[in-house]
Amino acid sequence: MSGLAHYLEDEGLSTVVVALVREHVVKISPPRALWVPFEMGRPFATPNNIGLQQRVLKAALSLLDAPGTEPVLQDFTEEAGNLHDSNWIFPALLSNESVIAEAKSILPSWHKAQTRIGKTTVGVSGLPPETVVEFIDRYFSSDPMPNPKGMALVSRARFAIDDIKLIYFESAFANGGQPSSHQLNEWFWKQTLAGKMILDFQEAARIGDNENLRLISGSLVPPERTYEYT
Amino acid sequence: MVRLADIPEPERSYMAGLECTPYAHKPFTKAVAPALRHVAIVSSAGLIVRGQRPMLSNDVGYRAIGADVEDSDILCSHVSINFDRSGFQQDINVMLPRDRLNELEAEGSIGKAANTHYAFMGATHPDQLEDKAREVGKEMLSLGVNTVVLAPV
Repeated sequence: MSGLAHYLEDEGLSTVVVALVREHVVKISPPRALWVPFEMGRPFATPNNIGLQQRVLKAALSLLDAPGTEPVLQDFTEEAGNLHDSNWIFPALLSNESVIAEAKSILPSWHKAQTRIGKTTVGVSGLPPETVVEFIDRYFSSDPMPNPKGMALVSRARFAIDDIKLIYFESAFANGGQPSSHQLNEWFWKQTLAGKMILDFQEAARIGDNENLRLISGSLVPPERTYEYT
Repeated sequence: MVRLADIPEPERSYMAGLECTPYAHKPFTKAVAPALRHVAIVSSAGLIVRGQRPMLSNDVGYRAIGADVEDSDILCSHVSINFDRSGFQQDINVMLPRDRLNELEAEGSIGKAANTHYAFMGATHPDQLEDKAREVGKEMLSLGVNTVVLAPV
């Protein structure tokens, strides 16, 4: 982001960077930067916390009022708070007969969650949500599903895996609650057959002959812990 | 997902130590008064509008997200797995705080919230983004934008 700030300032725009990785803005030193103490992926803090999001945005914009032309780096000190929801459980009993059966059994929760949230972020793969799990499940089989026109097969697989995670994570909000990302990751990677399928896919991609698949294998599973389906 | 500080080694050091070359030339554009600020948001989350081609790793392009695009049609195609998406799934403002910006315009804290915001692929090296960044800069200036909030993931 600091690199973009450099070019935009050079074009005549005043910029302020909201930064999650303090080390990076210290190195590049853009004209104005606000470091925020939130988890990665959440530069504006907590979903639906309008007050906190406004305070972050106002703090960032206030750096435009700093005198002089020396770079300004300010820390935003308000924390997002405890994000763990101890009452949260996944809102439905999922089939454990097969990953395909599990995926089918999660769809009612996914539809319910969409109604509750008012939107879905699923769709980046372009595959129908009803078949996206099967696409990955059959990927290395002797009978893979056809790849629709418009996207290379490896890219389709990567985005299909994104969509699978999005379907499951969205479904987790069907009955409300505020599970943390840690809770969601623990549940998805350790307790769902879809999570296990992706872990197996990652390993097959990592050791396989397809160089493009090997390249994406590192971007399928979060790095902060080793997951094992239990 | 966790803060960078909570990610165990060696990933933490890898991410913190990613190449960030300081620029010899330090452009600085003086800010206008708050009431005159016309503010756009530029995200590095690889956001796309539903139906557009997703951004790939090292993508040098960008996407414009107009005010008429519904929240439900904004998707995240960022290559990295190192960040949480569940916040974005519940509330787009966690990554692209366009509603908050509109509220600042309504209360008079800024002059105007831009009608169009932009997204790049943050995993791409900044040097490779120069042409498109300058292109977006010129486009924003042509639309009257004078101030940019850069939002990472």
